[in-house]
Amino acid sequence: MTGLDVVFVLVGLLTAAGAVLTVTSKNLVHAALALAVTLAGIAGVFLVLHADFLALVQLVVYVGAVAVLFLFGLMLTRAPIGREALDSQNRGLALAVSGGLFVVLSTLIVLAFGDVRVDAMTGPGIDVIGIAIFAVWVLPFELLSMLLLAALIGAIVLARREDGESGEEAEVTRIEVGDPPINESDGPPAEVAGDGQAELPAGSGGGGQA
Amino acid sequence: MEALLEYAYVVVLLPLISAAAIAAFGKQLPWKGAELGIAALGIGWLMSVGIAWQTFMNSPMEPVEEFFRWSPLGGGFVFELGMLVDGLTAMMLLLVTTVSLMVHIYSREYMKGEVRFTYFYAMLSLFTFSMLVLVIANNLLQAVIGWELVGLCSFLLIGFYWEEKSNQDAANKAFLTTKFGDVGLIVGVIVLSAGMFGLTDTPFNIIEINQAATDGLLSTSTIVLGMLLIFLGCISKSGQMPLHVWLPDAMAGPTPVSALIHAATMVTAGVFLLARLFPVLAQSALVMGVIAIVGVITLFFGGLLALVQDDLKKILAYSTISQLGYMVAAIGVGGYTASIFHLFTHGFFKALLFLGAGSLIHAVHSNNISDMGGMRKAMPHTFWTFIIGSLALAGFPLTAGFFSKDEILIAGEIWAGGGFLTGNLVYWIGLAAAGVTTFYMARACFLVFAGENRSHHPPHESGKQMVGPLMLLAVLSVASGYLLSPFSPDQPNFETWTQTPILDGDAVYPFTVDETVAFGVQGDGVIASSGSVLAAEAGDGPVSVLHGVPSWHPDLLAIVLVIFSLAVFLAWRFYGKGLPEKDPMLQMGPVTRALVAKYGFDDFGYRYIVVPVRDVLSRWATTSSNTYIDGAVAGVGKATKSAAMATYRTIDQKVIDGAVNGSALSAAWWSDRLKRIQSGDVQRYAGAIVAGVIVLVLAFAAAR
Amino acid sequence: MSLIGPLLLATFLFCVGIYGIIARRNAVLVLMSVELMLNAVNINLVAFQNVLFPGEEAVSGLMFALFIIGVAAAEVGVGLAIVFNMFRNRATVNVDDVDLMRW
Repeated sequence: MTGLDVVFVLVGLLTAAGAVLTVTSKNLVHAALALAVTLAGIAGVFLVLHADFLALVQLVVYVGAVAVLFLFGLMLTRAPIGREALDSQNRGLALAVSGGLFVVLSTLIVLAFGDVRVDAMTGPGIDVIGIAIFAVWVLPFELLSMLLLAALIGAIVLARREDGESGEEAEVTRIEVGDPPINESDGPPAEVAGDGQAELPAGSGGGGQA
Repeated sequence: MEALLEYAYVVVLLPLISAAAIAAFGKQLPWKGAELGIAALGIGWLMSVGIAWQTFMNSPMEPVEEFFRWSPLGGGFVFELGMLVDGLTAMMLLLVTTVSLMVHIYSREYMKGEVRFTYFYAMLSLFTFSMLVLVIANNLLQAVIGWELVGLCSFLLIGFYWEEKSNQDAANKAFLTTKFGDVGLIVGVIVLSAGMFGLTDTPFNIIEINQAATDGLLSTSTIVLGMLLIFLGCISKSGQMPLHVWLPDAMAGPTPVSALIHAATMVTAGVFLLARLFPVLAQSALVMGVIAIVGVITLFFGGLLALVQDDLKKILAYSTISQLGYMVAAIGVGGYTASIFHLFTHGFFKALLFLGAGSLIHAVHSNNISDMGGMRKAMPHTFWTFIIGSLALAGFPLTAGFFSKDEILIAGEIWAGGGFLTGNLVYWIGLAAAGVTTFYMARACFLVFAGENRSHHPPHESGKQMVGPLMLLAVLSVASGYLLSPFSPDQPNFETWTQTPILDGDAVYPFTVDETVAFGVQGDGVIASSGSVLAAEAGDGPVSVLHGVPSWHPDLLAIVLVIFSLAVFLAWRFYGKGLPEKDPMLQMGPVTRALVAKYGFDDFGYRYIVVPVRDVLSRWATTSSNTYIDGAVAGVGKATKSAAMATYRTIDQKVIDGAVNGSALSAAWWSDRLKRIQSGDVQRYAGAIVAGVIVLVLAFAAAR
Repeated sequence: MSLIGPLLLATFLFCVGIYGIIARRNAVLVLMSVELMLNAVNINLVAFQNVLFPGEEAVSGLMFALFIIGVAAAEVGVGLAIVFNMFRNRATVNVDDVDLMRW
């Protein structure tokens, strides 16, 4: 148990706590803030692992940009802040699956790498990384820039209002949950279809076309 | 020229093509199909002449055999379809195509105006094809096929005027009677081929059978049984007693048909087959004895029946029976060459006689010689050709019939010299029957050509198309005899032409060499049945198969001339002045009665075969068929129906429909449940994916 | 230090991310959970960079982590745009309300 280990455990606990808070918080804004804490913690982990450059990138991109982006997202979607249930009915499934996967993976990891130690950690200098990016990895790097450009344009196209769309929210365009699709066939459902169709609240929307 | 022999099968195929063509579009042609038949036969005849010339000039020569094999049953059991061209085949090809061509030409005028003219020509061509298939066959199975085909054509042509019941009956009689013998034939062929099994993979091959028999590879019982059964087929087909009864009735067909089928070609098929298998039957004295005795009986008693006939065609029919008896008897007394020589010449002059009779019938519209008379002046060409034919049939010196019949008698004499009684029988009874033949032919000629015209029609000579064939056949009736006569001692002659390699010049009859041979007709003529020769009188030693070119026999010539003169004188005495009030032939008391009743064969057959079969056997068969077989069939039907209903109710309705409906229902039920998996909740999908990941991780971990 | 620590942390973060994806209703929260999972992978990559290439010129682990950060940034941008679109059309960001793909 070296000093590094101690630092790692502390940073790791912080990160893990932030992550748990992110997915369990009743408050959306709290969740976003917890995410920022988690990301910052991960930057700390990178530091512990002697990846200085990456830690800085993590801070700049994630804590600086992505976390803020999420906050904007929450606000722009007028997310209900407070009482509304943030968890779906799949919580049990989520617990079981994620817990099961954690048990399996951690068991395997402990069995495989339980005794591996990394003592002489000398992270590569920033010069080495720069040479690597622009000498060995230059093609993927340029592709990444193309990807970011495409994402930029795509995000703008997706998020921008279409022509004719007012600035206000158009309530009439909303489709309430449970309505049958508008283009449903106008006849009464066939007998054979049976129970499946009967579960639909027939007659509310589509019935008017009959 | 040599290549011509390789293409001999073309001669066979030509009539088949013409038959099909006539049947297909004969009616649209200007001659209504006759030209097709005549053209095909003309080409075939030219080729046959070439083949005959080739084989004759090079005789004796190796046979040309070509065939292809197929083995439908596997196991080394091979059928053949092919041709065997040697002197015998070439001789038959020449005979068949010549007579057939003459008949084709002749029929154009004779059958003019018939309703089924085209059909008639198609049948003529088909018959010619069938006969050629039989003649050219290199194996017995193909020979049987041709044999049955000619029987079928004979049936169809005898019943050509099927509107009359009697003609139908005649056709049926001919067909059934010959079919009776055909059973024997095919069983005999099977017996022979069964003996050939293990010796070769082509057990039906004629050359191989002959060689095996000559080499002694076939057992005596095989030879005796097989050849006697085959001879049964010959008895029926070649009109030997007692199965000759169909041949006179077969005269119901058109006269050209009688000339072609029932005089020159088909009825000689039996003799031809015996000649083909002569090396086999020559191994057994018993077989030869039976053949000789049947032939002798036929040649004499068949000829007698012609005495009392009024119908000109029936006279000729009985004379055909008699002449066929000569041929068969000749085979039986070792006169191989004599027999087929007589077959050859007889084909010409008997066709001539029938065609002449057809010319007469055409003129007076009656078959009966009592309705004719005085035709000499009205129909001069028919007269002299008919006379030539009659002389040849009667064996008048220097005609073809004289040479061939004398050859038979000489063969009998030689056979008698070998110690066989049948030789004596053939010699003396043959001489007597020659007298009978002369008498009935002279009777017919006097009644037809001499005296006053008794017909109701003014007679007229027939046209060129009928007279032409008569003249050609008249020439052949004389000329063909000189192929084997004292005038032609140099080779090649008819004997070298028709001999086979197995029957070469030095061959002798094996049982004339070995005195202890099992079965024999020797000496006093006792047919031994128990394996030892009874009362064998030593002959002059081995009898050779080939007799060589005959020399003059002054004694025989004198006897023949005396008999001929006597018979003609008697006939002139009775009939020279026209039809007598009382025909002396009909005034002989019991003899006449026996002859008119045809020895009772027909009555016997009717009373003891037709009636029992028709009234008892067929009635019983009908009853049993109606009750038992129909009942069984109906029972099977009912059982099938109820089984089907049961199947329908249980298997179809319950099992199959149940399975189908059940699968549909279960599909609906399951889909109703399974569709809930598709909840549209992507988070559940994600959960399912992760669950799958867990499984995969575990699987890979386990695999490590 | 031992390798097991970072690895276990990464695994934990990964599973927490999975939990968030499955359990959370809000689409923005789901996106956050995705970010958690991506970061978990980054920890893994950096940890193994230290194990496999200690003191060498090869920096494959770091490079992959760098690229993942870039891709994740793009993903967040596009993802939030989709969420906005969805909100505009359906006035909700709850993923369990969007079930048009159900039977």
